[in-house]
Amino acid sequence: MQAITTALTATMGGLLLALAIILPVAGVLLSFVLGGRAAERIALYLMPAGLGVAAMIALGVWRSGAPLVYLLGGWPPPLGIALRADGFSAVMLLTTALVILCAGLFARANFPTPAGVNEARAPFAFWILLQGLWAALNMVFLGGDLFNLYVALELLTFAAVPLVCLDGRAETLLAALRYLVFALFGSVLYLLGAALLYGAYGTLDIGLLSSRISASPAVWAAAALMTTGLLAKTALFPLHLWLPPAHANAPAAASAILSALVVKASFFITVRLWFDVLPSLPVETPAAILATLGSLAILFGSVLALRQERLKLLIAYSTVAQIGYLFLMFPLAAGLHPWTADAWSGGVLQTLSHAFAKAAMFLAAGLVAETLGHDRISGLRGLGKVMPMSVFVLGLGGLSLMGLPPSGGFTAKWLLLMASVRSGQWPWAIVMLAGGLLAGGYVYRVLAPAFASADLSLKAPAPRNRERIALALALCAILLGFAPSGFFAFLQIGRPALTAIP
Amino acid sequence: MTGAAVLAALAHAAGSFGPGLLAAAVGTPVAILAACAISRGRRRSPALMVLAPLPALAAALLAGFGAPFSYKSRAFDVTLALDAPGAMLLGAAALLWIGAAFYAGADGRGGDGDGRFRASWLLTLMGSLGVFVASDLLTFFLAFALVSLPAYGLIIADDNASRRAGAVYMAFTVAGETLLLMGFVLLAAGEPNGSLQIRDVVAALPGSPWGGAALALVVAGFVMKIGLAPLHGWMPLAYTAAPLPAAAVLSGAAVKAGVIGLIRFLPFSHALPAWGEGLAILGLFSAFYGVALGITQTNPKTILAYSSVSQMGVIAAVAGMGLASGDLRAPLDTAFYAAHHVLVKGALFLAIGACAAAGARRHWLAFLPAAALALSLAGLPFTGGALAKLAVKGTLGSGAIGALASFSAAGTTLLMLHFLFRLARNPSPDRGARTSGQLLSAWFAMALASILAPWLLFPLTGGHLSDALTPAALRESLWPMLPGAALALPLWRWGGRLPHPPAGDIVVIGEKIIRASYGAGAALERVEAGIRQWPAAAMALLGIAIILGAAMATGF
Repeated sequence: MQAITTALTATMGGLLLALAIILPVAGVLLSFVLGGRAAERIALYLMPAGLGVAAMIALGVWRSGAPLVYLLGGWPPPLGIALRADGFSAVMLLTTALVILCAGLFARANFPTPAGVNEARAPFAFWILLQGLWAALNMVFLGGDLFNLYVALELLTFAAVPLVCLDGRAETLLAALRYLVFALFGSVLYLLGAALLYGAYGTLDIGLLSSRISASPAVWAAAALMTTGLLAKTALFPLHLWLPPAHANAPAAASAILSALVVKASFFITVRLWFDVLPSLPVETPAAILATLGSLAILFGSVLALRQERLKLLIAYSTVAQIGYLFLMFPLAAGLHPWTADAWSGGVLQTLSHAFAKAAMFLAAGLVAETLGHDRISGLRGLGKVMPMSVFVLGLGGLSLMGLPPSGGFTAKWLLLMASVRSGQWPWAIVMLAGGLLAGGYVYRVLAPAFASADLSLKAPAPRNRERIALALALCAILLGFAPSGFFAFLQIGRPALTAIP
Repeated sequence: MTGAAVLAALAHAAGSFGPGLLAAAVGTPVAILAACAISRGRRRSPALMVLAPLPALAAALLAGFGAPFSYKSRAFDVTLALDAPGAMLLGAAALLWIGAAFYAGADGRGGDGDGRFRASWLLTLMGSLGVFVASDLLTFFLAFALVSLPAYGLIIADDNASRRAGAVYMAFTVAGETLLLMGFVLLAAGEPNGSLQIRDVVAALPGSPWGGAALALVVAGFVMKIGLAPLHGWMPLAYTAAPLPAAAVLSGAAVKAGVIGLIRFLPFSHALPAWGEGLAILGLFSAFYGVALGITQTNPKTILAYSSVSQMGVIAAVAGMGLASGDLRAPLDTAFYAAHHVLVKGALFLAIGACAAAGARRHWLAFLPAAALALSLAGLPFTGGALAKLAVKGTLGSGAIGALASFSAAGTTLLMLHFLFRLARNPSPDRGARTSGQLLSAWFAMALASILAPWLLFPLTGGHLSDALTPAALRESLWPMLPGAALALPLWRWGGRLPHPPAGDIVVIGEKIIRASYGAGAALERVEAGIRQWPAAAMALLGIAIILGAAMATGF
């Protein structure tokens, strides 16, 4: 009897996985059919529903203590395709749903369909792309098959690139083109690697691959190609050339999603590849190479952020730096050691708290730019008087970026530092501390002029309601700092390292 | 009721109300901050700011005179505990925060339109009280960040000097937090059972493989907070720039976050002579350095700041000697000395405004208590300062360091006489000082509390008040003051010929180094611009694929 109920709940949970993808896809299709004005309404109705689905998936994973699996059409791999949600997937789904919901609510003011027309190009495109992006993200976080993940990545790129150039200005078109070309380079490399693996093992299912994989030239060539392709899409230094112009020139809501979620998607697949497909292989040296690139990203990204004249560019370069922290996870969480659980939790928490903090900061920066008519840092003197809430948001986000308590960024840094001390890998600890100092510098550069009392001329009144949306996201980043220990146990659900070896 | 019965009742009350009171002590400031989000709360904010430290004061009295107690939050990983040294500092700090808030209200700060000052004040208050009661590493780090970072909003105003002071303060603060973070990580990693309680990690410190590094980092972080020379540069700048009530709480209460840090994190149960004596020597250097630089200054606020550099040096010397000999009484004695400094230094900053507000005719009325307090800092017989010196005498010992420490009182006497002279000379250095009865009464209340509180607290250290009144004790506290007083005369006569280093002295060098590093930033920017070109990016893509592949091939 109990076996039956367990099986039943597993299927129920499985259906939820499918629903998480079907919902935004249905939204896109419906928007095309109904057209124009309906796209916005459909998107905004679906977002809370999607949040509910994500929450139920998380609940399911938490209740069962094991990953949820759904076999499309009932065929097990390698014939069929599996959807799979472990702890990391579940928190990414939830974060995605929350950030997309906030960005959607925020964007209503920027992309309304004007009264009197049935359809306007930019709003229609925005709301459809937003849903497409969301579908692609959920596919990435649920995909259990490397080819599936490739399709999801392509969808993601084709939804993200047009978002950058919605306003059609020459510089945004150029930024979008850069993004597109580089992302395609990345796709080609990934596909090449996937083809190699398929040739060698006849499957791209992650679970099957991880049990079959062995050291062979095909595997290391495939891993190197796929990883490089993913790094290009994640904009890890020195492959970040497309990120600053794309993220700094997109509309605020799009910047928030691009920085918070889109770069995390390819990072997520990198983690899948290294921790789920390759864990049985010795990866110390390549992992150290990834972390070295991450360290360079922290150094260059932070210093460049310190030297920007525009707020949105500063925040974009801060993303380059913060992505670097994510890659410190690879040498620290590799293998089976007493510290790997901490490192894993720290890496995941860094992903989440950066997503919330950065989304909040891009939204606040967008409001500042709308209200002042510019986002030059030298012109922010007196901002605290006219937009105190936005300055507060930038401060809270900055707190998390600097890794100071109370914030998710602090807890993440604490865990990663603990892991680097326990594993004796000192260089990463020094990099993390230096990165915190530099982050302090660029956050100070934004906040110090805001505290000055000068009279600012406003182009528009400060929109309090939209400031509250940004604040909600920033508070999420802070709340992560109060995560109870059960949360970290949740993040470990489905990790092969814990289940493979007793 | 007899004294014993009162104590028993207090101990009982501590058991039943203590934990809740601890939570309230830390929670009240943030609750008031939340109340100020609505306009009715904002209108009453000056009064609310005065009331905010009251639960902390009650908790301190209960724990100090009753029994220690602790609190564990069910919702968050927060544990609080109050023991005798913590209670002593918590009580003194709460008193100062109340008096200074009263003064700030009279000075027209923190009202409806002054959101920045109010928010910074309440957050700093929360951290300032929190560090004394935090009993696990993470709560302590959070409280330490709260007492350090929001204080920026108390220091800065609309002039270049205060902006510079704020920038230097933030640079020191963030650097100190970074050192402390790494130190705490090493402490936690060295605890075999995974406990984060400060008590446990400090007990595990001597046996930890990272013990030395952890101790060095933690001490460095706290030394930056208490502003020991040569890491004192922020202190004269910040205290000079901050408005008087803010300078009072920063110099009196907030800086003690570093002192309680030393008290909590030095492993006094293990004698570590090299570490302890090193810290003591650094402290004594600071004690004399502060005096030497202080007598060249003319602004009374700056002079008091340098006096803090000196006094924190003495405190570090006491803690260091306690560590050197493994003296378990050192925490309490250090806390008593520091508690005296909380009240007196805070009150002296308020005295600057009170003397200005009293006007020429009643100037002496405000000046006389200030003189008593200033000399109390030097250990004048019959003052709290004499009790403080007596309390730490045993820990300092009778060796060279002990002798030098007691001789530092001569320097303090000189510096305090210099302060009083400048206080009498230029009574109104602070903009916006206004005559107000509330302002003067805040000052008198604070002065009275500073004079009386040490006498009430001294028995808690295990000493007898009568010990301070024996002729030998009086003689001993008086003699180091004499050379200081003798030197004051030539200083008064020829002091103008001394060089006048700017406030913050060697911090100028640090600022030059920072400015020079902009060049390195520009170089990195050029490199990055090269990397962002298409050919370079394509090469990088190829190169990473090849290197990763090669690394995997060699790894297999």
